[in-house]
Amino acid sequence: MITRIAARSLLAGAVLISLAACGGGGSSSAGGQAAPSGAASGGAGTAGGPIAVITVDPSNPYWKAEIDTAQAEFKKLGYEPTTSAHKNDPDTQNQLIETAINDKVKGVLLDPAGADESVAAVQKLVDAKIPVVLINAEISKTGLAKAQVVSNNAQGATLGAEEWAKAMNYKGTFVELFGKPSDNNAQVRSDGYHQVISQYPDLKQVGKEIANWDRQTGQDKMESLLSKNPDVQGVIAGNDEMALGAINALKDKGKLKNVKVLGFDGNPDAVNAVKNGQMVATVLQPIVEGTKKAAGQLDSVIRTGQTGVADEKQALDCTLITKDNADQVNNFVLSGG
Amino acid sequence: MSTTTTTPAPPGAPAAEEKSGRSRFNMNTALVEGRALIALIIIIAIFAILSDNYLTAGNLTTITKQVAFNAIVALGMLLVILNGGIDLSVGSIVGFTAAVAGNLFRGVHVPGTDVTMFPSLWVIIVLSLAVGMLVGWINGLLIARLNLAPFIVTLGMLYVARGLTEVLLNGQNITNELFGQPGLNNTGFFTIFASKPLGLPLAAWVMIILAIIFSIVLNRTPFGRWLYATGSNERAAQLSGVPVTSVKTWIYVLSGLCAAIVGILQMANISSATADLGTFYELNAIAAVVIGGAALSGGRGTVRGTIIGAFVIGFLANGLVIVGVSPFWQKVITGAVIILAVAVDQIQQIAQRRRSAARAVAAAKAAASRREMAGSRS
Repeated sequence: MITRIAARSLLAGAVLISLAACGGGGSSSAGGQAAPSGAASGGAGTAGGPIAVITVDPSNPYWKAEIDTAQAEFKKLGYEPTTSAHKNDPDTQNQLIETAINDKVKGVLLDPAGADESVAAVQKLVDAKIPVVLINAEISKTGLAKAQVVSNNAQGATLGAEEWAKAMNYKGTFVELFGKPSDNNAQVRSDGYHQVISQYPDLKQVGKEIANWDRQTGQDKMESLLSKNPDVQGVIAGNDEMALGAINALKDKGKLKNVKVLGFDGNPDAVNAVKNGQMVATVLQPIVEGTKKAAGQLDSVIRTGQTGVADEKQALDCTLITKDNADQVNNFVLSGG
Repeated sequence: MSTTTTTPAPPGAPAAEEKSGRSRFNMNTALVEGRALIALIIIIAIFAILSDNYLTAGNLTTITKQVAFNAIVALGMLLVILNGGIDLSVGSIVGFTAAVAGNLFRGVHVPGTDVTMFPSLWVIIVLSLAVGMLVGWINGLLIARLNLAPFIVTLGMLYVARGLTEVLLNGQNITNELFGQPGLNNTGFFTIFASKPLGLPLAAWVMIILAIIFSIVLNRTPFGRWLYATGSNERAAQLSGVPVTSVKTWIYVLSGLCAAIVGILQMANISSATADLGTFYELNAIAAVVIGGAALSGGRGTVRGTIIGAFVIGFLANGLVIVGVSPFWQKVITGAVIILAVAVDQIQQIAQRRRSAARAVAAAKAAASRREMAGSRS
């Protein structure tokens, strides 16, 4: 406890100094595994101390992978990470950030709740002189966060849509399952899909429903959509959970064989579905890779004042997962490549 | 005494009077339920006109299945609401039961050993249902014995059970394990629980069976009478010897059981145990019960009404998708229908109260004039 308090006061000073004298060069070593920070000298900034990892929802496999990676990474770098989740609610996010500020954390790794809604929250951290790195999703303002490491949803969506359109043989009817409207990735992915699909006039959308990223909602909506369009030939879903719900509905009606389903995220159940041919493709977001990068950059900022990367916004490309490479995917990591 | 002598009644009269009283009561309930039924018929008619795909056998089966999950939870909720309580924890119990069952499929590691136990299919089902009842029992104990407000207790349990669900699942959906392994004697989950006896999904059969049982329990057993009595006037019920505390505890156990049944069925339906399973089910269930003519203050409500209420919500949700109403407007319309249904109910209640008050005044006047006449005669 005493070391923690000592560490905190030291760190607060260190952060101030490091911000005042930016770019002191990476002097201290990050190798000391969980070294008591009190022992380290108060130079330009040292590794160690509390880090707040604020993400969306640990009950979802995708974000669980993000949280686990962040925790492991920060522990390896010698920090004490705490994790919390805002479930895409800007208000909760605000509270968590205020808590982190009061807790005098050394840095924040944030998966923001909405591009516009999160600007004010990030500004608060900037005012409190706590460095923040964004992961997974971006905010609409630059110059606040030290870095924004996001997966390129637009690029991923075009990849997926291209593969799916090919499987459809560039013609036929389809329905769309849309994610949570408050999450801007829902729109980004939908736009990406339609950018590709609109090039093929023989692909006709006959229905679109919001299924809130949720499997059961996806299934319910798909069942109703199937009653309306019994002969639908394709499904594009904004994420894997909704796609898996649609697959359940199709299976139930014995129609899965004739319908091409597209997912997004690359979560384990979806990868299995791709393997056994129930899903045409899914798009793997490099969340583990991205989280590692983001954690490394936050560590660099704390130690040296700089991320060591030229651009604030760093888009990581997504990977298409088809039957060909599905067995190389293990919990959001594509091995071999 | 004088009245009996002045109007000598035949021996069968009291029974006849009671009968006519009951039939009047039935007519009133029929009116209340009729409202939900009328709403249902209007909804079906509108969508049937707007879309050819609405009233097809396939779509009706789909709706019935979707309705069944809500209806089963709503049946448990009905018992609680009849008592004047509320159970906000049912959605979380749905998720929690599925998570427990999923983990049992995955095998239970015996602490301190290298042994992992794999219970057989029916042991898994029974244990999971028991867990749901246990959660309900805790609700019931806190509410009945400690006299805590049902809203608060079950709201707390909503968080506790959802949190435990997330703990059990630890960010992973349980999917493949549900198929079981032949060597472990836990296969066949989907062949049983996702089956369609006589073309109707199992969930629908369970709904029908439970509706029959619940309606017998409510109308033909002491427990049912006690429940209506405690809901109308708890103090009076207690004074007349109704075991109020145990009735109160049991309804939460039964509500937990209903939610647990849905947890198992829904897990089979979406073929996975997910952390979000059952979210907002409590609100849909309450809506079904209320549309079905139950009073949130307790003492009034029927099984038939509740089932119809669940169908109103189900037919509406499905119809809005089939007709192609914008998803944003779907919510607005659903909410408006719930409010409208309850508003009509209230208006009807007020009118009924006025009518019966008028009747009572008329009866009192008649009695007074009879007394006067009798007085003048003597």
